[in-house]
Amino acid sequence: MSHPPTPHPLRSLLSGPAVTPLDRLAAEGPSVVPELLPALPRKAGAALLGGGVVERDVGEAVAARVDLDAWRVCDAVGAVLLEEAEVDDETLVDLYLHGDLEERIIVLRALGLRPVTDGTVRLLEEAQRTNMESHFKAAACDSNLPLRAAAHAGFGSEGFRRMILKAAFLGLPEERLLDVERGADEELSRMLQDLATEREAAGRAIWPGTSLLIAHAPTAGSVARVVGGLEHGDDRLRHAAARGLLRLNRRDLEPFAAERLPREPRPAIRELLERAIRPD
Amino acid sequence: MRIFEPHAHMFSRVTDDYQRMALAGIRGILEPAFWLGQNRTSVGSFVDYYDTLIGWERFRARQFGVHHYCTMALNPREANDDRVNDAVMEILPRYLEKSSVLGVGEIGLDDQTKKEEKYFIAQVELARKHDLPILVHTPHRDKKQGFQRCIDILRDLDFDMARVLLDHGNEETIKITRDLGCVSGFSIYPFTKMDEARMVQIVLEYGVERMVVNSAADWGVSDPLMVPKTVVKLRQAGVPDADVERLVWHNPIEFFAQGGRFDPAELDRPADVDMRETFDGNSVLRGQDPDKT
Repeated sequence: MSHPPTPHPLRSLLSGPAVTPLDRLAAEGPSVVPELLPALPRKAGAALLGGGVVERDVGEAVAARVDLDAWRVCDAVGAVLLEEAEVDDETLVDLYLHGDLEERIIVLRALGLRPVTDGTVRLLEEAQRTNMESHFKAAACDSNLPLRAAAHAGFGSEGFRRMILKAAFLGLPEERLLDVERGADEELSRMLQDLATEREAAGRAIWPGTSLLIAHAPTAGSVARVVGGLEHGDDRLRHAAARGLLRLNRRDLEPFAAERLPREPRPAIRELLERAIRPD
Repeated sequence: MRIFEPHAHMFSRVTDDYQRMALAGIRGILEPAFWLGQNRTSVGSFVDYYDTLIGWERFRARQFGVHHYCTMALNPREANDDRVNDAVMEILPRYLEKSSVLGVGEIGLDDQTKKEEKYFIAQVELARKHDLPILVHTPHRDKKQGFQRCIDILRDLDFDMARVLLDHGNEETIKITRDLGCVSGFSIYPFTKMDEARMVQIVLEYGVERMVVNSAADWGVSDPLMVPKTVVKLRQAGVPDADVERLVWHNPIEFFAQGGRFDPAELDRPADVDMRETFDGNSVLRGQDPDKT
C-alpha cells in the first residue's frame, strides 16, 4: 500500500519508553514487529494519551479523524510502529488474527489514521463479527473510520449501517461515533427504528442516539419518534429528541417544542428547545 | 482461601470446572502449553492452539471470574516429532512476547531422548532471551533419573534456579530439589502421581518454602479441584493458614511474576464477568439470557 507522505501525526507526541520499540524497529527491521506489538502495553505504557481530536489527510475524500482522549500510549506507539514498518495488508491481518486481546485493540485503533484498504475492510468485518465489545469499540468508536470505510467498495453503506446498528445494539455512546451523522440514510433510520421498537416491546431501553440519527435522514415514523421523545422520562433520550427536533428544522413541529419548554427541567434541553422555536 | 492454580490444561475442561474452581477460591489459573492427547501433524495446529491460549481460553475463564495466564512451549513429547519441532521453534518467539504468557513451558524431558534434550536446551535459551521463568515437565517414567538430568542440563546452561519450576515431583524428588533454589511442583491426582495425604506428609516434613501444588488437570482422569481439596487436608493436619496460603497463593504468584508480565495486584479481585460479550462470535451461554446467569 502507499502511505501518506506526511509523518505520522502521533510521532511527535511520543517520548521516553514509548520511543524504544520504534528505535528497535529502526535497528532490526520490520520482521521484529510481531514481537514488538504484544509488548507495547507493558513496555510503552497503557496510560491514556489525551489531546482531543486530531485529523490527518490520508488521500481520501474525508480526512481521517480520531479522538486521542480515548487512546492509550500503547495505541499511539502501535499506530506509528505499523506505519514505520510499512506493514502491508497481509501483515496487518496476520497481526490481528494472531494477536492477543490487547494487540487486537492496538491494530484496530491504528486503522483510524490509515487509508482504508481491503485489509481495513477485512478487520472491520472481523471486529463486527467478533462482538468482543472492547474490539468493536476500538473499530467503531472514537474515529470516523466507519464513515471513511463506507466509501470503500468492499464495505460500503451496507457495512456502515451494520456497524452503527451494532453500536446501537450494544448501547455505545453516540458521541463516540465521530461524524456518524454524515453517513445517515433512510435505510439506517429504518433499521434503528425497528431496533427501538423491538426493544420497547421487550421492555428494554432504546439507544439514545436513535432520535438524533434518524432526524438526519427521516423515514416513515421518524418524526413521530422524535416528537414523542420530547416527553420521555430519561434525560438522555429527551436530550437526543430535542437535538433531533432541531435537526428536522420543521416549522410545523415548533408547537411541540413550545409545549414542552415550560415543563422542561434540564437547562441543556431547554436551550435546544428554545433554538427550535424560531421567531416569526 | 485465595488460590492460584499453577498448572491446569483448561483447554480440555468444561465450563462446570471453571464454575466449581471459582467457587472453591481459585482466582487465577496458569495453563501450560502441552500435548493434546495425540500428536499434531503440522505447525498450523500449534498456531491455532497457541491462539486459543491467549484468546478464547483467556476470555472463557474471565466469563467465570477467573484470571487466565499461560506458558508457551514445544512440549517434550512432540519435540521428538520432526514434522513439527523446528517449525514450532520458529513461531515461538512471537508468542513468548504476549502479555498473558508468564513463562516458557512445559519444556523438559519425557522419554529422555536426545531430541528432547536438544529442544529443552533451545527453549531454556529462549526463556533467557525473553526474560521469562521456565516450567519444567519431568518424566513420569524413570523419574528420579529424569529429574537429575533436567537439573544437570540447567546447571550446564547456568540458568538461574530461582526461575525454574521443576514440576510433577514426589517424595523422592523433593530430596533432590529442596536445596537447589528452584521451585518444586507437585501434581495432585485422584489416583496417580501425588495424592492429598502424601502431599500433607511432604509439607509436614519439608515446609512450604519454594513449593507449589497443582492439579495438572487435563483430558484424562484428573480433578481441577485438587488444590482446594489439598488445602482442606492441610488445614485438617494443623498446617497454619499462613503456610497454606503461601503454598497455594503467594508461591506460584511470586514465581510467575518474575518475568514482569503481570501485576499480582490484578488478582486482588476476581476477573470481570460480562456475559454479554462474545469472542470470535462465540459465547459460553448457549442461548441463556446473559443478564440472568
